[in-house]
Amino acid sequence: MRIEERRYTKADHFRPTGYILKSLQTTFKGAIRATKHRPCTILYPWERLLYPDNYRGRPGIVLERCIGCARCAKECPNKCIEMVDFQDAGKGKVKRPQVNLGRCMMCGNCAEACPTNAMIVTPEYELSSYSRAGLIFDPVRLQHPYKPGYEVNYKFALLSEIAAGGEVKTYAKNDPNVHDTIVLDGSKCISCSRCAKTCPANAIEMADTGEVNPKTKKPIKHPKFDNAKCVVCEQCVEVCPKSCLSVKEVL
Amino acid sequence: MSNLYIELTNFTEWLLGLVAALLDWTKLGFLSDFGEWLQTAPVVDFVSTLLVAVIFLITAMMFGLCFIWQERKFLGRFMDRRGTQVGFLGFFQNFADGIKVILKEHIVPKDSDHRLFEMAIFAYLASTFMLFGCIPFSDNFYVIDVDLAVLLGVAIFAFGPFSILIGGWSSNNKFTLIGGMRAAAQLIALEIPLLLCIVSVVVITGDLSFVGIVTWQEENIWLIVPLCIGALTFFIAAVGESERIPFDLPEAEAELVEGWATEYGDVRWGLQMASDYFRAYILCGLFTMLFLGGWAGPEFIWAEAWYLTKVFIVFFFFIWVRAATVRIRTDQILKLGWRRLLPMAVINLLIAVALKVTGVF
Repeated sequence: MRIEERRYTKADHFRPTGYILKSLQTTFKGAIRATKHRPCTILYPWERLLYPDNYRGRPGIVLERCIGCARCAKECPNKCIEMVDFQDAGKGKVKRPQVNLGRCMMCGNCAEACPTNAMIVTPEYELSSYSRAGLIFDPVRLQHPYKPGYEVNYKFALLSEIAAGGEVKTYAKNDPNVHDTIVLDGSKCISCSRCAKTCPANAIEMADTGEVNPKTKKPIKHPKFDNAKCVVCEQCVEVCPKSCLSVKEVL
Repeated sequence: MSNLYIELTNFTEWLLGLVAALLDWTKLGFLSDFGEWLQTAPVVDFVSTLLVAVIFLITAMMFGLCFIWQERKFLGRFMDRRGTQVGFLGFFQNFADGIKVILKEHIVPKDSDHRLFEMAIFAYLASTFMLFGCIPFSDNFYVIDVDLAVLLGVAIFAFGPFSILIGGWSSNNKFTLIGGMRAAAQLIALEIPLLLCIVSVVVITGDLSFVGIVTWQEENIWLIVPLCIGALTFFIAAVGESERIPFDLPEAEAELVEGWATEYGDVRWGLQMASDYFRAYILCGLFTMLFLGGWAGPEFIWAEAWYLTKVFIVFFFFIWVRAATVRIRTDQILKLGWRRLLPMAVINLLIAVALKVTGVF
């Protein structure tokens, strides 16, 4: 829409009615349109706006798919996701996300980050509650029936390819070819195997290095990463007592 | 004498006769004398006039309230929204608002001039309600039909800004004072073109009573046709006189809070707000009677219905102007009044005189 730039000049003083007639015409057209069709406003409790298919309402979760990697909690810009203890029927005591919707800004980044698409965006937006505690959704309450389209998939390009100036490919979410990897600094590792215990995807295996500890005469084991299983949740990086793990990002 | 008067005089005679019979039944001498006095002609006249006035006031106020409803709904459509939704089609919004303002506390500012502060608002309301009496609905439904009804109405109308000035001054508040001053300046700038337009109508019709003016238009032609310039001038001046957007300087919300009525709370404020619409209704009525032939129209519906239809159509244009324009500055309003409307009104008067002199009418 073009906005006319206009200054009040002496000439305007002699033709004020022209501008009044123009605004009269504009408003009358608007009134006719609002009467013939319907006004812009809706009667909310009785009428609702149609939400688009990719509408990002409150986050939901499909518990069967969740592996407790806590990537959603790391990604959340408002820090409203917390990993809480949850008694799963099959897996026993596990960690699952709990969302404080009082702080949630419905950005859907949690669903974007979820490697298994367990975190989904739902079309629910009527979330008022009588107390703040009522806005904290624990994993059970956070559940929502899944429908195709609720998960958030995206495509991305690599910065290095754009910088190189050649052909720029687009990659889908969780593309195995452009997977971040965990790198081990073997000189620091003390073979505590905490990373293997904490890994939610069972992607870490303690493998023999072929060396033997000179004091205990036992073989030295170092973690070995299965990139097909790894979801790059960085929990192993966090738990490592000697800080010998790091993430090598694909750029 | 209108039908309303005749019927209500008969009703009053019957009612007072009943009261007199009741008093006579007590067998007390002085009460019987009082009953006889009640049945004399002046008392019957007075009571029937009072009844007519009350009926007319309530009717006119109801239609004034309908104006508020009409403005809410139409302005909503102009602004691409729905307007009020309280009750059936939003009809009960006014009553909800009325109950609200009645329940409010009456607050008088400490440093204000208490007596004038209390008086001014009622002077304003009284002038508005008096105007209802001057505006007939039809030649059968009116309160007074004096020979100088037009002059009387305009004189009472000019009394309103005077009480606005007093109210603004006595509130002892800079906003109210500025609002009152602006009301006075605006009145002077727009009253003269308004009066000249009325004069042109009077020149052509040769009558100063509304019934006479409308009768002339019924017999000849609606005056908006020969006096289109005058009708336009009258319309603009009427919007200014009723202190509506774009001429709502006396209560410019953005600059002056609520203008001259800033310090008024409770039902006084509510009535002030309603009386803005009552005055707009009166001006629409004046426009209808002076230029649109009043209650003249085909006789398949009542004359009063014709009159009200025309009034509501004129008010639609008031709302339209409100939706389309922005508030103008004080100097612009004065320039508009003195340098545009006044020449237009004079030209219109010349046209009217020329039409009369050349014998067209």
